[in-house]
Amino acid sequence: MEKRQDKKTGPSGNGSAGGMKVVIGSLALKNPVMTASGTFGYGEEYASRVDLNRLGAIVVKGLSLQPRLGNPAPRIMETPAGMLNAIGLQNIGVRNFIAGKLPFLRDFDVAVIANVYGETVEEYLRVSELLTAAPGVHALEINVSCPNVKRGGVAFGTDPDMVAEVTAGVRRVTDLPLIIKLSPNVTDITVMARAAEAAGADGISLINTLIGMSVDVERRVPHLYNITGGLSGPAIKPVALRMVWQTARAVRIPVIGIGGIATAADALEFIIAGAVAVQVGTANFINPQAALEIIAGIEAYLERHGIGRIGELVGSLRTQNL
Amino acid sequence: MNSGNVIYNRRLKAGDYHLALRLPTGFADPLPGQFVMLRTTAPAPLLSRPFSVYRFTRHRGHVVLELLYRVVGGGTKLFSQMPSGTEVKVLGPLGRGFRIGRAVRNHVLIAGGMGIAPISFLAEFLQQTMGREKGMTFCLGAKSSDDFVGLERLEEIGGHFHIATDDGTLGTCGLVTDMLPGLAAGWNPRVTSLYVCGPPGMLRSLAACLPAGIPCQVSMEARMACGLGACLGCAISTVTRRNKIVKKTVCRDGPVFDLREICWEAL
Repeated sequence: MEKRQDKKTGPSGNGSAGGMKVVIGSLALKNPVMTASGTFGYGEEYASRVDLNRLGAIVVKGLSLQPRLGNPAPRIMETPAGMLNAIGLQNIGVRNFIAGKLPFLRDFDVAVIANVYGETVEEYLRVSELLTAAPGVHALEINVSCPNVKRGGVAFGTDPDMVAEVTAGVRRVTDLPLIIKLSPNVTDITVMARAAEAAGADGISLINTLIGMSVDVERRVPHLYNITGGLSGPAIKPVALRMVWQTARAVRIPVIGIGGIATAADALEFIIAGAVAVQVGTANFINPQAALEIIAGIEAYLERHGIGRIGELVGSLRTQNL
Repeated sequence: MNSGNVIYNRRLKAGDYHLALRLPTGFADPLPGQFVMLRTTAPAPLLSRPFSVYRFTRHRGHVVLELLYRVVGGGTKLFSQMPSGTEVKVLGPLGRGFRIGRAVRNHVLIAGGMGIAPISFLAEFLQQTMGREKGMTFCLGAKSSDDFVGLERLEEIGGHFHIATDDGTLGTCGLVTDMLPGLAAGWNPRVTSLYVCGPPGMLRSLAACLPAGIPCQVSMEARMACGLGACLGCAISTVTRRNKIVKKTVCRDGPVFDLREICWEAL
């Protein structure tokens, strides 16, 4: 097992192919495939089944200043080609993460991206400060897009001024690479992306879940206690892809594509549409090996097409002379 | 994730099925109360479904995993249509099963409905590891005599049987939990242990009438996506000794819990 690297640069990682390396701000990743926040726990849940060293990065479950119990059950419901969830950001709190979970992750040669949630701007800043001071956190992803909490979350992500305020605030308290995770539940996501870029973000990740709903017609009650929940899985992939394509053309900073990615072909769609990297979410639930299989599939694609570096593929979508 | 094949998928009663799967020998021996996540290779249903282990046997070159399930929704309906040979994906064994105290002489196994699956696996395990002389007591409940599945297997294992049906078509009329206070009068709490699996209503009423001092473990059921403790879809509220409410996952912290640790008011 390799030792961890300097937190500012991230693990250098000798991925099986140097051509898979990607850079987001000062964060260097051995490959472009990360596990999305909320779908991979704190890493340890999957460690006995997945070689964490092979992942591009692990984005941990959203962290708040105090532990949160989350919403009552039922919290999830399967829908056609997807699932609704309303977990409500249940998490152990940033201090318990740093003391109890981070030491385990430090033993792996993988970038750890901490996902940050706050009910107020001040909470976002305090959580970011604590994570910045913690050895072994390689980047921050700011969650301004959780649809399942009463305060904070998506309330910040649907107003460009609030996106800018949170981004600028966190930028002042951290020198870690700063990624803003955007909500698709807006009229024009590029407005939010530009606001984050202007306020100092190093990257944009999108999309978080789409707000949805499901009803038990026999009992005439919602399937989720929270009534509404976030839709994820293959069902949202076309929407996510469209938004990634729009956003990649609207900002200069790297875009990380998220939304229904379950295969290497799915990941490649996002990369060709302009994403520098991708996150695998719901697919981790269905197949713990999904992210590793996607990495292998992208490598095979590069080889098959004679492409030396993944960067050559980013935004290579042809829209003329089809 | 193991690939396997359906050996048989037998309909037992109206919506109840007995599924046997052939899996590679690398599949670890499950403990009673543990479960697996099962899916087919088809795109739907998207998520795997959790099932308690009903029986597990090793053979030359393969293992056989048996499950009992009831069709309750779209996922289980699709499972019920799987013919022999269907390829399946199985993740497991998962979770924490029943803990068996060495001093226990009086094992009381309580099952309602499909709860008979993990209870049968536990009974077989107890029979094999402890021998018959220590004895087992079964308290089994169902809506009607037609709803009982797997009774024959338990009768082969042997023990003292107490059966209740909601409509009185088999055993006493009423809930399986109604019998408990009367039976418990003869039990020595220090050597008695209760193991329970059944529908939520039964577990709640058991929690309300559980005789003091008798240890009671309960296997819980919940919707879940991952089975590994990541999605948090299956979190339930539990109470610590200091009376603090803590969320635990049915998949990773459970599915077997101390019945008294579960916070029924705020699941």
